[in-house]
Amino acid sequence: MLLLAIVAVTTLAANSARQLRYTAVAFFGVALAAHLIDDGSLTAAQILVTACAALVTSAILFVAARDPRFGEDPGWRLWIATTVAAATTAAAFAFLRPETGDEINTNFLGPDRSGVTTEVAAFWLLSSGIAILLTARGAVRGSLGALLMLTGTQLLVQQVPGPHLALTLLLSWLQVVVALAGAFLIVNQRAAHEA
Amino acid sequence: MIEVITLLGTAALIAFGVRKRLAVVGTVTLAALAAAIAIVVLLPMDASGDVLELTWRITELGRLAAVVLLGTLSLLVLAVWVDEPAYNFFPTALAVAAVVLAVLAFTTPIAVYAALLLGLLVPVGTFTFQVHRNRSAEAAYRHFSFVALGGCLGMAALALSASLGRDQPPATFVLLVVILVVAFALKLAAIPFHTHAALLASEVPASGLALYFGVLVPTTFIAFAQILVLSGLLPAIVQIGKVQDLLLFLGITSALGGAFLATGSTELRRVAVYSVIANLGQSLVGIATLSGPGIIGAMAIALVTGMAATQQLLAAGTLERRAGADRPSALTAPLAALAFVVGGFAMIGAPPLVAFPGHFFVELIAYSYSGWMGTALVIATLGVLVAQLRAAMAIFGTAPDRWRVEQKPIAGIVGGLVFAALLIGGVQPDGFLQPIAAFADEFLRALHPL
Repeated sequence: MLLLAIVAVTTLAANSARQLRYTAVAFFGVALAAHLIDDGSLTAAQILVTACAALVTSAILFVAARDPRFGEDPGWRLWIATTVAAATTAAAFAFLRPETGDEINTNFLGPDRSGVTTEVAAFWLLSSGIAILLTARGAVRGSLGALLMLTGTQLLVQQVPGPHLALTLLLSWLQVVVALAGAFLIVNQRAAHEA
Repeated sequence: MIEVITLLGTAALIAFGVRKRLAVVGTVTLAALAAAIAIVVLLPMDASGDVLELTWRITELGRLAAVVLLGTLSLLVLAVWVDEPAYNFFPTALAVAAVVLAVLAFTTPIAVYAALLLGLLVPVGTFTFQVHRNRSAEAAYRHFSFVALGGCLGMAALALSASLGRDQPPATFVLLVVILVVAFALKLAAIPFHTHAALLASEVPASGLALYFGVLVPTTFIAFAQILVLSGLLPAIVQIGKVQDLLLFLGITSALGGAFLATGSTELRRVAVYSVIANLGQSLVGIATLSGPGIIGAMAIALVTGMAATQQLLAAGTLERRAGADRPSALTAPLAALAFVVGGFAMIGAPPLVAFPGHFFVELIAYSYSGWMGTALVIATLGVLVAQLRAAMAIFGTAPDRWRVEQKPIAGIVGGLVFAALLIGGVQPDGFLQPIAAFADEFLRALHPL
């Protein structure tokens, strides 16, 4: 539960940041906390790969900012995104949670074998990402929205039976490519705007 | 197969390193693509293996699609190398080739989806050019947003459906499958999710546009069909008619809307792009019928439309460049103009090209479902025909005293090669349709598992 709280707070920090460099640092916190949520299925190799991807992704966004003041002011979009994300998370969890009939046990610090924490974090990140992406004016918040959505998707994919390490590697590469494409667009939009 | 994907990935990195040395990067790119095609052709049928427990398999459709799509990529690379040097295009083409093979070979639905998203994001670098003078950066950003939104939603829905037990309420599966279908509609630019495609069509370089509509859009459609088969969602789709209705609605709306927009377009590249959207609508109808002929027709249309789109978009790019500020005309590049016109034959599914059987099967099966559905598809084809005829008349509106072949007629040569391939396929359709029929069998088996 503590990690879930960190995911929520760092998502809000990334969403409300006016400077891209702060957004990049906050996203690193989101990704790291999200991938450390343990439902008993994660291996050390998976955690290492996702942590590396989170670091590289944040570094790409940090470098793309080029100066400390560059960014996009979220304004009223922050409140819309937060309200929509909170409401959608609750609705998605109520509607899409498997009907297993198992008792749900969560604790503050230890691993959560029921997977509830992972699912809530995934729905929160997905709905926050959608809300940010749909209200974004440019590539700065667009990239953040895409990366949050992808992090949420990664959490859901972790719960699917199958080749976990291969899928983690593939999705980590995808995260890096999303960050590279986002950084490329940020640089180009900035160049077009300054011309 | 993993070795071929690695080869192409490594070649992409090398090409990125030497991208400004045109002769070297062109040679490396074409050699890597040729080697990949040769290895795929020589691999035994149903060859399989795994890496980190991720399994892959070469199917008949996978081999056919790999040859068609990598062949189309090779022609594109040749055209860019000779006629329209763009440094970023070569590594992008190689990365896309690696992704295409991964999509065709992987047997885990989420891996197929993730590979597809990689492929759809890589061309962002080739979409932007001269950002001070045009809106290509905005077009690329809109493409990025649509891919990220559709991709993450679709992959999340797929992951949830795989992790849920089969004893969930039907409404849960309906919601997840609807999200998956809408996610693919976003990536396929199906109407009404086509606004990013409209902006791309007018703002980005023709070669980037051809890479997207000629290679990546057909790959997306094949990935959609493969994911339906591999995910085990098909029986649920059959039981719940609403999803089939949604697919039919999206298909018919795209077919009619694409044809309508193509008819009203005055720009050559918009005519080509909207014709692709109209044909993909027909393909969606074919898949939605959940029948053998419908599936064969759908896959055939998707593959042939990709080749025709490449042919038309390269020709349109050449005609625009040669015309400068004037309207594109056959006077400045007659061979490119001819390539555009013959590409139109493939777009409408005219015999004797191999484009014909696909359109025929889908329209036939649509009539067997209902008269109005078949009529809608025929009207859509007529709309594309009118659009292509208008474009042809606009290009050949004025005749010179003497026709003179343009310098570097690469778009015309590419158009001729594509036309010859489509003609050979039409004369001997079994070689093209047999592998697709094998996939249709697999699709129908997944539809009604024992």
